[in-house]
Amino acid sequence: MTVRFQSPFQCIQYLEKQGTSSRRLLIASSGGKIYSYAGETGQRLSSWPQDVDPSNANNSREIDTEPGSQDQAPPEKKRKVSSSVEETVQSSKSAAKALAWSSIPILVAHPNDDYLVALTAEDKCVRVFHLQDDGTFEQLSERCMPKRPCSITLADDGNTILCGDKFGDVYSLPLLPSKEPYVAPKLPSRPKVPSATALTVHSKRNLESLEQQLRFSQTENSTEEKPALNFQHQLLLGHLSLLTDVAYVSVPLDGNSSQKRNYILTADRDEHIRVSRYPQAHIIENYCLGHTTFVSKLCVPPCAPEYLISGGGDDYLLVWKWAEGRILQKVPLVEQPSETTQVAVRGIWATSFGPLNIVLVALDGSSQLQCFVLGLDGVLTAQDPIEMSGNVLDVASIGKDSTIIVSVDGIREKGSTQEWRANPTSPSSLIATLRVKPDTENLEWEPVTEPLATNVNSAGSSDIATDTNTKGRKELNDSLYSLGNLRKKHGEDD
Amino acid sequence: MSAPPPKRQRREQYRKRAAAAASKETPGRVKLPQKKFYRQRAHANPFSDHQLNYPLSPAHMDWSLHYPGFVDPDAGETNLAGARKVLKDVEIVDIGCGFGGLLVGLAPLLPETLMVGMEIRTQVMEYLENRIQALRTQQKKLKNAPTTATESPAPPTPSEASIDGAAPDSAATPETSTGLVAGGYENISALRSNTMKFLPNFFRRQQLSKIFICFPDPHFKARKHKARIISENLNAEYAYALRPGGLLYTITDVEEYHHWVLRHFREEGEQQASEGGVKDLFERVSDEELANDPCVEVMREATEEGKKVTRNKGNKYVAVFRRKADPEWPA
Repeated sequence: MTVRFQSPFQCIQYLEKQGTSSRRLLIASSGGKIYSYAGETGQRLSSWPQDVDPSNANNSREIDTEPGSQDQAPPEKKRKVSSSVEETVQSSKSAAKALAWSSIPILVAHPNDDYLVALTAEDKCVRVFHLQDDGTFEQLSERCMPKRPCSITLADDGNTILCGDKFGDVYSLPLLPSKEPYVAPKLPSRPKVPSATALTVHSKRNLESLEQQLRFSQTENSTEEKPALNFQHQLLLGHLSLLTDVAYVSVPLDGNSSQKRNYILTADRDEHIRVSRYPQAHIIENYCLGHTTFVSKLCVPPCAPEYLISGGGDDYLLVWKWAEGRILQKVPLVEQPSETTQVAVRGIWATSFGPLNIVLVALDGSSQLQCFVLGLDGVLTAQDPIEMSGNVLDVASIGKDSTIIVSVDGIREKGSTQEWRANPTSPSSLIATLRVKPDTENLEWEPVTEPLATNVNSAGSSDIATDTNTKGRKELNDSLYSLGNLRKKHGEDD
Repeated sequence: MSAPPPKRQRREQYRKRAAAAASKETPGRVKLPQKKFYRQRAHANPFSDHQLNYPLSPAHMDWSLHYPGFVDPDAGETNLAGARKVLKDVEIVDIGCGFGGLLVGLAPLLPETLMVGMEIRTQVMEYLENRIQALRTQQKKLKNAPTTATESPAPPTPSEASIDGAAPDSAATPETSTGLVAGGYENISALRSNTMKFLPNFFRRQQLSKIFICFPDPHFKARKHKARIISENLNAEYAYALRPGGLLYTITDVEEYHHWVLRHFREEGEQQASEGGVKDLFERVSDEELANDPCVEVMREATEEGKKVTRNKGNKYVAVFRRKADPEWPA
């Protein structure tokens, strides 16, 4: 039996729904797909978009017209219906590749675990799913953003999606769009005349082009309006540089715990962390300035929302009292910093196991998961790092079991974002689970022997051929490890 | 290997000579820099990664090099970056100051207020730095030798001043090079920056009392409107840096841009109700009030662009906005 590389899990989320229908689910995105697994056994429950069986790929027309299946059908399937030529050429391979996206870089779970927000990369589409009790996905909406979103978070108890994009803008969208069809607000129509006049431009060339514009506007009254977003949205704020992360914080007002003040924290490629009010995000309360390269991750620990842990291209983390823009601590991430090591913080995860508040940090392309204990005074104390079998991609935690689930990269060599392993491991290693050893002085971890990881790993995800060519490999590498691109490349300057 | 183009060669020669002249203790006259050696195309891409120097935070900014006349005499007083402190905070910013006409015009009006001009173009910035340095030196000489005023600093020769093509005013305005001026230009300085990105690195919350945005790049094409210096997003940053009651001055010769400015700070006769936008933070200052504000006159007449527009008989559209206090948190 030949072993194939298994596409790693880019994002994982662990959902625990309490109440009448208690349910535990592990949700993972891998390549262009989202999978759901039973939280206890690791048995795969469902995937989205639904597998297209090669035998009935040609019948997609019929599938589409079936009631109920529309929600799960990826949009491009509908496109296929119109062109019968494409259908005939279609093989089983192209059916799998026909998705309009190749990766799902963001998964966000709703606080009450009924909904899941996912971003499909290439079509810039924010998709909201309802999670059924049997673990299947029902897509409720798809909203394509004007620019590629970099970060998505939920606000207002999960009723609002905040979406920060590559252009530095943050939009707020309702989680569930209202039933009424969206009507774009009417902009006051302005006559289309060139804004330049003979009074403002003087050079010969400029005057010529102005004349041309005037002639053009007289002859042709073309009103080429940019297609506006066809769903309810609001631009909250904007940075001029690429936005990297958005965090939403709700802090109780002193004394009176029922009253809360909401803030939105935004980080960008130009070292800034901005603290704005929410939803009045035009009121900037503060900037947290202290990074010397890009900021890639913001983490406000749920157990202590007055603190902020930020990381990026610097070889340290910063712990902030963010309301005051004050640095509390500079936490080194590299033992012996050198000029050549380029650090990029991939993720900062805060979790609480009983009274123990833990912060986990992973660097891009590193197999080490760094552990810290967060004190009540906001101070991080470094613990022994955990060495994983591959680069750490994402972390989810199971609070009541004191367990973490780590998604690891089984394709690339440890510590590299580019070099592929010679051979796939068997069984594949997609996730690993670790538990805090009880009753130990220091924070120590032990592997969990429960079936979750074993079953998930043995089921695998989608195959990636071992003989993928260099170009294909590079594309896959870049879609998984893109943080290095945030570093500034200073070119010619004048 | 090809020789550098003649223009660059001339510029380099000029700078070498100027640097040599500046290092020598030349008695008598101090030459102001000539603009023709510092021309640069009027546009810069605000989105690209320029090689910029900017402080980590406002508390790390070394203003002592910019305002040697205002440095705290106590050498033990240092900021977070270990630099000498200055006695006052910078209060006035000219965003996109260009060749510095506004600063030079404002300097004697507010001699005790520190002002800084920010400009993204290197050549223009170099000119302005040299200009301010020369003005300061002239003033110092005037001050030290008031009795021998007849022989010291001679105004630039006519040939020098008019060599700059059609702009005889540009190299050195006569009034700046003759008499003693209040403050001696010690209160103005300029630095290279991209304010669209790095304004919060220089100024604390509510540090500024005035921001000037004079004759900004109009970015005529709709596709380029995101590069305009006035936008809803950037206005939030201006509001952050301005203290309540502080003023933001704008002037442009492009009518469409003027309406753009009005739209982005205050509704302009539009019924569209906009709740909670950045517009809530600004109110427009009435024309009567502006009539008594000498800064407006400087902005209209002393800036290089203002003079150019006058020469070309263009229009000037002024709009000034006052920063209102932040609204209360909703209960």
